[in-house]
Amino acid sequence: MDGKVIVVTSGKGGVGKTTATASVGAALAQTGKRVVVVDMDIGLRNLDVVMGLENRIVFNIVDAVNGKCKSRQAAIKDRKIDNLFLIPASQNDNKNAITPEKMVEFVKELKKEFDFVFMDCPAGIEQGFENAVAAADEALVICTPEVSAVRDADRVIGLLYSKSITPKLIVNRIVPEMVERGDMLSHTDVLDVLSIDLLGLIPMDENVVVATNTGTPIIFNNQSKAGNAFKRIGLRLDGHPDLPIEVPSTKSSLWKKIVQKFAVKK
Amino acid sequence: MINRLIQKLFGKQAGEESKDIAKKRLKLALVCDKLEVSEDILKKLQTDIVAVISRYFEIDKTEFNIDIQRTDDLASLVLNTPILRTRTNY
Repeated sequence: MDGKVIVVTSGKGGVGKTTATASVGAALAQTGKRVVVVDMDIGLRNLDVVMGLENRIVFNIVDAVNGKCKSRQAAIKDRKIDNLFLIPASQNDNKNAITPEKMVEFVKELKKEFDFVFMDCPAGIEQGFENAVAAADEALVICTPEVSAVRDADRVIGLLYSKSITPKLIVNRIVPEMVERGDMLSHTDVLDVLSIDLLGLIPMDENVVVATNTGTPIIFNNQSKAGNAFKRIGLRLDGHPDLPIEVPSTKSSLWKKIVQKFAVKK
Repeated sequence: MINRLIQKLFGKQAGEESKDIAKKRLKLALVCDKLEVSEDILKKLQTDIVAVISRYFEIDKTEFNIDIQRTDDLASLVLNTPILRTRTNY
């Protein structure tokens, strides 16, 4: 059976697309799925450094799409997870080096070899976005609880609907203290404004910066709240769509456990 | 700590929190974004409308004018055209 092709997009830059792509990809690969993550940000590649694979690049997406190498040659195997692969972007071409039509053809081949193909979309809604979205079956929209990010997410959601893709939302970098104080949009506020289903909520987590510093997947850090939230997103994408979404909160996990116990007994 | 207590007791009332302001601004911005019409679409609309009106009236196409005007709470399509004469063959 062919794999799923999922584009990770946001409109606004700097909201965590690349981290989300790497983390959800790694989470699914760790559960045994064959996963390839594709960096579609041609000219400004970053997925390779986030994953710690920047030293292993030989071929890139432009080479693979234009037939200069086989897709297997362009796919770099992850250092730690055996069935996780990266196809990096090229750093020297411009976004016109590939076309939506060629991407569709290329991804058809990838789908046969992998259970999941994640495409890390560049910021913006121009050629790079078109290239990434053309071949996608599904879309994840990432936004942070900020006015600018939500506005851009709305624009992107509209564009995805017009391409017959029903996207799902991930709200990233939630600071529970600020939400409780009323100084940050809560995820329900964001959902009130956007017409989209929620896939997951990621709390703000310093561990993400540390993981990126060293190029190791955040999901390896079991203490990381963001890492665990990404793992849950992986599960929801693959076979457990009803897994409850955990809302980031300031309460200690012990307290949460007690509350949950009582909730079950009732 | 004490500050927050005082704030809770006397200060901030419901609906004053900064996230509420953010939400209001966001909703308004999204409505405005969706009302934005490109020049291209406006030109196409003009061609269509001129064609329809021309079936009933003879109009001065060079003076035909179409525009979207916005006030705080609504947007309206305003078109203005001089009529030269009615078509009698209807």
